[in-house]
Amino acid sequence: MIYADNAATTKISDSVLEKMLPFLQEQYGNPSSQYSFGIKAKRAIEQARQQVAEAIGAEPSEIVFTSGGSESNSWVLSSVSNGHVITSSIEHKSVLNTCHLLERKGIDVTYLPVDSKGRVSLDSIKEAIRPDTKLVSIMLANNEIGTIQPIAEIGEYLRRRNILFHTDAVQAVGHIPVNVKELGVDFLTASSHKFYGAKGTGILYKRNGVSLPPMIFGGGQEHKARAGTENVAGIVAAGYAIIESVTEMTTMAEKLSALVRATINGIRAEIPNIIINGDENNRLPGIINIVFDGVTGESLMHLLDLKGICVSTSSACTSGRDEPSHVLMALGLTEQQAKSAIRISYGRYNNIDEVETIVTNICYAYNKILAAKS
Amino acid sequence: MESMVCYVCGKENLSKNEIGLTKKLFDKNTKHFYCLNCLAEYLEVDTEFLLEKIKEFKTQGCTLF
Repeated sequence: MIYADNAATTKISDSVLEKMLPFLQEQYGNPSSQYSFGIKAKRAIEQARQQVAEAIGAEPSEIVFTSGGSESNSWVLSSVSNGHVITSSIEHKSVLNTCHLLERKGIDVTYLPVDSKGRVSLDSIKEAIRPDTKLVSIMLANNEIGTIQPIAEIGEYLRRRNILFHTDAVQAVGHIPVNVKELGVDFLTASSHKFYGAKGTGILYKRNGVSLPPMIFGGGQEHKARAGTENVAGIVAAGYAIIESVTEMTTMAEKLSALVRATINGIRAEIPNIIINGDENNRLPGIINIVFDGVTGESLMHLLDLKGICVSTSSACTSGRDEPSHVLMALGLTEQQAKSAIRISYGRYNNIDEVETIVTNICYAYNKILAAKS
Repeated sequence: MESMVCYVCGKENLSKNEIGLTKKLFDKNTKHFYCLNCLAEYLEVDTEFLLEKIKEFKTQGCTLF
């Protein structure tokens, strides 16, 4: 199998797995327990908190572990109880669907458009701000097209106006430099399984001094911010995984960019009329989103799957619905183009030989589909 | 339901699974349909593998099957 869907999830690193496993068996103590066996688990969590904080330029007291990116996003957005919220039209569903919930509660939400490369402009935020704007939430990097937003520029502007700022950095953390102070954000979401940690562990950065009422009630875990017995093994994995990813970030970015370039060049040599979505000069190093004229992304994905290659399409029909991707539609693509796209997302374990196989099989699948239809 | 014929071998009365799989793999609006054997040959995979894919699509709730 060739796995080229690392924006969906990543394979946990061997060394990270080794670090987390003891907390599922030998050291299974509850971190809230007062005896040594529990305190060891508690210490492991605090070490992970330190590691995560260090990796994103935060204080350990500003890090809360959650169940995943969706919980972190939902928590921040759903904390708004009145006024006005600004977000973009290409956010992850965990942001957009929470915004829809806010609207049903009578809170106004502005969904900012993006340009053809998927960029939100600071000017559009300036225009949308109202006296009662409580929160702005703009993702750091998009999960479908990889476009990176001007978060630092937006953060600086919002800080001067005392408007809270959240960024969904799930796709960015561990892949590009992220420093919460430089970004000027009050809240930041990350997810461990996107950077070779384990599934089920999210991260929420909450700037010290900013209030965020609990969303889950119970005990006093996570410094009384989030109740529930901690996922100790997952949290330990998050700490080691983020340090590993940050350490290798520069060399990894170069490697992934080279794989992306080889993919685009290889496909273009056979299928010249492909369209690359997103911002070629300002996107995550491992993600490419490509439109293939005349075939659906879903067909391409399935034919590649038959050959053991995993890529994704955001417009797959699973239960009778085959809605085009809201992200691609926001770029101004036609519905047909949006349904003709696939996303390839490379990661640590991909190599140039796999790229050659992927290119060969994409061209093969593309021609097979066209020939079968004609 | 309209009776479909395999575009390659002419097999008549293609099953719902064969019609669904052709649509799923090529295009919902395709005019040409394939029986399981011809589809496997065309895509250079085993028929067993395609039968397994049909099960997966059904598990996902795909309404084409």
